[in-house]
Amino acid sequence: MEIEPYTEVTLTADRKVVAELRGVSKSFGDVLAASDLNLSIGEGEFLSFLGPSGCGKTTALRMLAGFEVPSEGQVLLDGDVVNDLDAHDRPVNMVFQQYALFPHMTVAQNIGYGLRQIRPRIPKLQIAERVSRALEVVRLGGFEDRKIWEMSGGQQQRVALARAIINEPKLLLLDEPMAALDRKLRKEMQIELQDLQRQLGITFVLVTHDQEEALSMSDRICVMRDGRIVQIGSPQELYDRPNSRYVADFVGTSNFFNGKLQGSPEGMSTVLLDNGMQVQGMAGDGLVDHQDVCISVRPEQMKLGHQGDGVEVKVHNRIFLGEHTEYLVSHQTLGDFLVLAPRQADLTEGAFAVGDTAAVSWEATAALILDRN
Amino acid sequence: MTQRARNWLLLAPAGIWFLVMLIIPLTVVFIFSFGERAPSGGVVLALTVEQYANLPARWAAFKNTMTLAPIGTLSALLIAYPLAYFLAVKADPRWKTILLVLVIVPFWTSILIRSYAWIFLLGGRGIPALLEWVGIEGLRLINTPFAVLVGIIYGYLPLMVFPIFVSLDKLDKRLLEASSDLGAKPWKTFLQVTLPLSIPGIATGCMLVFILLMGEYLIPALLGGGKVFFVGNALVDLFLQSRNWAYGSAVAVTLVVVMLIIVTIYMRLISRLGANREDVSIM
Repeated sequence: MEIEPYTEVTLTADRKVVAELRGVSKSFGDVLAASDLNLSIGEGEFLSFLGPSGCGKTTALRMLAGFEVPSEGQVLLDGDVVNDLDAHDRPVNMVFQQYALFPHMTVAQNIGYGLRQIRPRIPKLQIAERVSRALEVVRLGGFEDRKIWEMSGGQQQRVALARAIINEPKLLLLDEPMAALDRKLRKEMQIELQDLQRQLGITFVLVTHDQEEALSMSDRICVMRDGRIVQIGSPQELYDRPNSRYVADFVGTSNFFNGKLQGSPEGMSTVLLDNGMQVQGMAGDGLVDHQDVCISVRPEQMKLGHQGDGVEVKVHNRIFLGEHTEYLVSHQTLGDFLVLAPRQADLTEGAFAVGDTAAVSWEATAALILDRN
Repeated sequence: MTQRARNWLLLAPAGIWFLVMLIIPLTVVFIFSFGERAPSGGVVLALTVEQYANLPARWAAFKNTMTLAPIGTLSALLIAYPLAYFLAVKADPRWKTILLVLVIVPFWTSILIRSYAWIFLLGGRGIPALLEWVGIEGLRLINTPFAVLVGIIYGYLPLMVFPIFVSLDKLDKRLLEASSDLGAKPWKTFLQVTLPLSIPGIATGCMLVFILLMGEYLIPALLGGGKVFFVGNALVDLFLQSRNWAYGSAVAVTLVVVMLIIVTIYMRLISRLGANREDVSIM
């Protein structure tokens, strides 16, 4: 399976570029962890690397931090190649996955650590002042003298954040910062992080495997797979115009039906599905004539109606989610798929019960023709 | 059986051991130390401080112990720390185990045999002969404090390496990355993160080596050749040669008291050093 590297580099708005990856690859022995990464990060942007574990997202982040040296290509900060610049000389700071706070120091000593390394020395009083201010920013005012192990997971997370932002880095790198938090705290932290980013104007680069996290916080998401960038775009772009089945599957949920492209892929095209049905859909980029493709239709784009109005299915399972009802339906030849019906539809057209026969339909523009990979 | 009874039962074997092998003998030694030498050797119970008044006669043994034990501990630390650091931080994980085993290998041979090896190495036909060959003449190594120090460092090095290795090995390597990320140069990361976090290992190693050194007997006997006496050698002499049990007991009690004082001060010092951290545990 060969995945074409995604080379398009688009920046939302006309932001100044603070960091750049140019044809960056990294191998550990025989393992190629990152391959031909090309990416520009704009000033003040919130960019996420999204992908499953082992996709190279952490390696990409570590190369920006200076913990890994690229095997090939260039890492640029503010237009300068920094491949050979050690982590301690880069104006970049990181929030580590398990926070990596110094256990033998107080909260204030942890946060002031970066400032204490600067030569000529910053006066102690000034450091203390800035530490207090940083603590205020992360809403931990007055916690200066606490010990690290006295703090809860969420508080430690904020200390780690304060320890990084106090240095006013060009890039703030966040390595799965929410992984150790429970769901509720994670939601709160996500909102706080976004607020913080707007407030400080620091460029954030987040690594996550959680699509929800990436979708809710990022200006742009860089979807990765097997060490390569698959697609870069805003959350909406990725959701509405995924360039492959992989992205459509990873960003949001979708139903996929395999088939073969009839004729050339130009705008609205016809696909002959494996079960013999002919359907219309919007062709994505980079497809060739008669290619094996799949049709992707989001569950919420499907309409569940009464018989005779689309493909006939049997309702297999029904999950009431409040504002939506999720139906798992099965079709004789298409197999099982998901339909998300808004509450309103249930109310006006009547809800379906498990075992009911129904018809599923969708607009041709909602069906995307994508590469099967 | 109640929980309480069960707890006592669990403690019983160790408790009985301690009582029979430590508390009772120590008490006996303590009582003996106030007695007098019996004409035929051994002890006659009495209540006199005569033996303690005689302590200055054994001053040399105390002085040697009190200088060579700290110097030996410190030297062992200075040699062991870089080694432990290399093993824990720098060594290729594939080699780690093998290298660790190499550190223990000397323990598979008796200290007696290893000390004899040093007698040869430091003796007239060993290193001094080699040096003579290059032109440095008349150097005497064997039966000097230096020889004892070499033997001590050699014999106790693994005991120092292991606790330090353990504390460095369990050190979260991301803390080092965090330090570097925050702008600290490598040696500052070492001073501000690695070293403070390895204090528990240093403390354990030093304590272990120091306490054992205070009671050391074999190495000074072999490599000091009767010229560099430790308190341990004095005790052997008093109990087995001159059979003056009362005087020997007084020397032993003094050694224990001195050790207790030093260990107490040391513990205070270490716990103050690690005052604001949860993970300091000395031994």
